[in-house]
Order: sequence, then structure tokens, then C-alpha cells
Amino acid sequence: MSGLGWFLVAAVAEAQVPVLEISGANFRPMPLAVAAPQAQDPKAKVKAAEFDVTLLFDLSASGIFQVLDRKSFLADRNEGVTASSINFARWANVGADGLVKTELSSEGDLLRADLHFFTVGTGKEQFKLTHSTPERDVRKLAHILADGVYRGLTREPGPFQSHLAYVRKTAQGKEVYVSDWDGKNGQVMNSGGPNVLNVLPALLPDGSGVAFTTYRTGKPMIFVQRFGSPAAPLVKSDHMATGIAFSPDGKRIAYSLASAESTQIWVAQADGSGPKQLTDTPYFINTSPSWAPDGKRIAFVSNQGGSPQIYVMNTDGSGVRRLTFQGNYNQTPDWSPRGDLIAFTARDERRAFDLFTVNVDTGKITRLTQDQGDNEEPAFSPNGRLIIFSSGRTGTSRLFVMSSDGSNQLPLPMESGTYSTPDWGR
Amino acid sequence: MATAEAQIHPAVQRSLLVGYRLPLRRFLIGSVIGHVALFGAISAATYFQLGPRIDLNQQPIKASLVRLGKPPDPKLLPRIQPQQEAQKPPEPEPRKPEQPKAVAPTPEPKAVSIGPTPKKPPEQSPADRRKQLLTALNRTSRSTGSKTAQQIEEMEGQLDGDPNGDSATQEGERYYGLLKAQVQRNYDVSQTIPEQERLHLKARVIVLIGRTGEVLKVQLASSSGNTLFDGSVLAAVKKASPFAPPPDHLRDALQRRGIALEFRP
Repeated sequence: MSGLGWFLVAAVAEAQVPVLEISGANFRPMPLAVAAPQAQDPKAKVKAAEFDVTLLFDLSASGIFQVLDRKSFLADRNEGVTASSINFARWANVGADGLVKTELSSEGDLLRADLHFFTVGTGKEQFKLTHSTPERDVRKLAHILADGVYRGLTREPGPFQSHLAYVRKTAQGKEVYVSDWDGKNGQVMNSGGPNVLNVLPALLPDGSGVAFTTYRTGKPMIFVQRFGSPAAPLVKSDHMATGIAFSPDGKRIAYSLASAESTQIWVAQADGSGPKQLTDTPYFINTSPSWAPDGKRIAFVSNQGGSPQIYVMNTDGSGVRRLTFQGNYNQTPDWSPRGDLIAFTARDERRAFDLFTVNVDTGKITRLTQDQGDNEEPAFSPNGRLIIFSSGRTGTSRLFVMSSDGSNQLPLPMESGTYSTPDWGR
Repeated sequence: MATAEAQIHPAVQRSLLVGYRLPLRRFLIGSVIGHVALFGAISAATYFQLGPRIDLNQQPIKASLVRLGKPPDPKLLPRIQPQQEAQKPPEPEPRKPEQPKAVAPTPEPKAVSIGPTPKKPPEQSPADRRKQLLTALNRTSRSTGSKTAQQIEEMEGQLDGDPNGDSATQEGERYYGLLKAQVQRNYDVSQTIPEQERLHLKARVIVLIGRTGEVLKVQLASSSGNTLFDGSVLAAVKKASPFAPPPDHLRDALQRRGIALEFRP
């Protein structure tokens, strides 16, 4: 029976057939085959490997794909990039539900990429992305296309063109770096001279620079440095200033000021003017502020209940509420840009540092890491789907990325070194 | 008499040697009635089985004592339990190739060529076919932990059955229940589908099932509008097949009109 005939019969009979309702789908990362890019000319061929490794890592870390190991299949190099030239049955046999094929070509000083995304089950091209960048920006080209794939499927912005700030320990002290989201292309910021500690970086929300805590004058101070400009003091105070956080709109800052007897949280305008004290608990420590995505609340750490715990308050200092009641050493909160969760570091009863999230509304705590060394300092991606954190699981402190539910933990492809306190911004 | 009793000396009145007129008859009658009533009540209770009924066909209940664990300290941070770890998405199994592998056997890693398709798939022998069906039957029975497909076959039409008996209906419901469970186990949907879209997705599939439980045809009767979701529900039916052979009274209907499966996330 022809397809149309069968369909008509089915339509007539449909009213009579029993109907079974099926729900409760198992949502799983899409098994994705990413074919090696096909270079169209010698200049593109030189850049193909770097493009390939960058795109592969982005898609692998995205949390929505399970990128298939290329060793599990041997791609036919002569297979084209159009739906009609692809043998989808063979891709289905290796377990792929999605297929990415890319062509790279040179256009003068530009490198052009044409990415095709196919749904293996239907054998159709779901979308095509084309972009060009200067040849030297081949990594950026891969990040742009990875974001395009992410958005093409989820309708959400991808995090792969965003930036990371972190601290790298060197022989000269601790220096602040700003890099691509995956830790590559790192630029060191003004260190203030040898043997100076620079810690706790925070990217400016407009992406124009970074603020950080520095010990260049002996006591901790907060400096800001925009790209192409020297570092300058941002918070002017006689007290010790640490741990800056920018409000999501970039108009205000929150930080801690420590005196001899207590540490309190302050807010000010983004240029440091108009400081205002928010917490007022003498003899206690209030620190590590993190803004809610709506800019109306701040999460922070306080020991006013006897041990360091996560609290939230309004940005005028009212409505202080303790959020965590489990564990006795909870710190470094980071409020998800999606608003629902706060990630934090906790030392558990085995004295291991691990990462958790707490639901802001319900207070439910979920563990993200376990039994893999010390894991600290979580930082949400701008879309709230991923978390970068530092982990000592390999012996030295390295940066890792995982999905916000703790799955798919991968080390960032950075050169060897000791890294800590990541901040993930635009 | 009352005058004579009244004249008895008090000391004599207390003597056990003196006979008295007591209400013995009334006492005896009351006692007999009471005992009869009690006996009757016990007999009635036994007759109407007010006590626990003992079912002689009751299967033995296996019980084992387990250690009552220490309750978790509410002040401690949660730990990831092994069961939770097991719930994480497993590595998807590569689908069973429809054609024979066209690669030389290499030890590690196992590679599948994405090359030209081999010309013709091999014919299935009757023995292979029987084995495939038996596998499907076993899968169905394992999935529910209830009666085996063989038992379902045996239950079709009892010699001493009642013409108005509804066992066929029950049997059909059981078959549909097994079919639904089998599809549901293979109902994997891509995480790439946007969350806001998931609320509105609905796809209907018509499946024609042959006499031996094989899927004769699966067709999308109503698309969800999302090709990924449509692909997932079609794949769920294909991965779940073959099903158990349908009961007699459903065979023709399932073969000609099929069954509609309505999928929501």
C-alpha cells in the first residue's frame, strides 16, 4: 500500500483504534558524531586541527551532547556535506542521533567555516551555519559556531564566546589572567610587581576588564584594570577590602571591608563612590558577596550563626535569611544567572571540600562533586547551564567544567600550572 | 412461714446445718441461659468467620530482617548514593547494525566503517526468526515480572469458561500494559529540546503489529512540530520492537488498524 493510501486508512481507522498515552521521557544528552572538518585549501588545512579541537571541546562540555569518540567510527573521507551524499544508516549504526560536518576554506585573510547539522533519524539537515573570522582567530571561529549549534537546538545562548578570569600561581606570586571560556588565550593582568598576590578576580559585566583583590601595598585592596589601561584602586578605604562582585547591570559593586574586630559587606556605585554598609554584626565575619541575577538580593557568607553559612539579603541590607543549615563550613557562593540555585563550596564531615547547590526557594542542597579530591570555588556560566571550578583531583589545583547538575566533569584544556578562583563572565 | 423464720434464734440462722429457701432455681436458669448465649455467640462468630481468614492457597511470604540503619544526621551535607550514580545517563549502546560490519576485525577500539553500504542483508533463517521472537517474549516478561507470554497464550479461552467472562478484556489490557511498558523503557528524548518547548510537545504514532508481535508499520499520525521529538518517538517504537504476540482477539485489529501511541515528554 502506498504511503498516502496507508495514511488515509490510518486516519479513518484512528478513531477506532485504542490509544495508549506514553509520557515520562528519559532526557539524555544527544549522541553526536562530529566529523573532522574538511579543509578546502592548504591555508585552511593548516588551521583545521586547531578549529577541530576547539569545536570538539565546546560541544563535549556543553552538557547537551554526548560527543562520540572518533575511534568508534571510521568516517568516509569522500562522504560529502549534503544530506543526499551522506549515508545516514551508517551514522545511526555507530549510535549517532546528530551529525556535524564542517567545511573550512580561505577567503583572503579570512577563514570561513560552513557547518551543517544533520538529524540522523530523519536524514535531514536541521540547520547550516556560516561564519568568517581573520585566520588568527580560528579559535574564536570555532566558539562562534559552537554557540550557533547550541542556540540552534536549545534556543538559548551558548556560553562559548564568553570569558574567564582566574588566578595562576607563578614563581613571582599569584597573577590574574583573563582568557577565553576554555582557559585558552590567557592574558596576564598587571601584577603590581614581583611577589605580589593578586586574587579573587571579577570580570566587569561589559567585558571591558577585570577587578581583583591585590596585596601590592601590603594590605588587601580592590583594583580595577580595563584592557589597555593600567590597574587603579577602585575601593578607597582604610580597612582591608576584599572579594568584589559586580551587579548584573554593572552599575554597582559589593565587597567586604575588614576591621580588627569584624568583616562587613558594603555596596557602592561601580566607580567606588557612595559606599554603604549592608551588614552590621559586630565581632562576626560577613564576606563573599554574590548578586542575584535580578540585582535585588545578595548571597554572602556569614558566621553569625556560629559557623560559616550561606545567607541572602536584600541589597539595602534588610531581609537577612540563612539559607544553609547542613554542614558547618559553607563558603564561596555564586548565584546562578538563572536565579534558582546558588552554588557553593562546603567542607563535609570527611573534611573534604566539595561543591553543592542550594535551591534559593526551598533550601534543598544537592551535592555536585564527591570523592575526587578537593573541589572549590564554583562559577556559573553566563547562561547558568555550566559551572567552572578548581579541583585538586590531579594533584595540583586545576580548572574543570561540568554541567550545573554535577555531571560531565571535564578539565579545561589549559597548560600545566596551578589555577584557582575562576570567575565566568561575558 | 415468715413468722416461723423470724422466730429462729440469730445464732441458729448463721448455722450451715439449717436449710434455707434460696433463689436457686432462678440462678440456675440464668446460668444456663447465659452459657447457651455465650456458646451461641462463639459458634456464630466461628460460622461467619469474623476472625482472620486463612487462605490455604496463600503463597509463602518471604521476609528478611534488615539492619535498621542509623538515620542520616540532618546537619550533615548530602552524599551521592550509588543508586543515584547509577541513574546517570549510561553510555548509549550503539544500535545493532542492520548490515554486517564491513571492517576488518581490529581489536581495540572497535571501529565501524562509515563507508558504502554492503549490497544485500543476509536472509533470516526460520531458526533465527524463532530465536528473535523468543527474545522478545523474554524481554516482555522480564519487564513486568508477571506471567510469561506462554502463560498468556495458555489463558486464551478456557474449556470451562463462562461465555460472558471478561478474561479476554483483561488479557487485552494486560497486553497493552506490557506494550506500553516496553515502549516506555526505550523512550529516550534528546536533552537538546528546549525546556519551554517540552511542555507543548505531543506526537501520535500508529503502529501495526503482526501475529508474532513484529512491527509491520510505524507511522507518525500527528507530528509534534519538533523533528527531534518526532524522531525520538519513532525510535522508541522501533527500539522496543518486536513485541509479544498479540492475544487472539486482538490479532486482526492490531494487524489491520493497529494501535495509536500518544507521546508527551
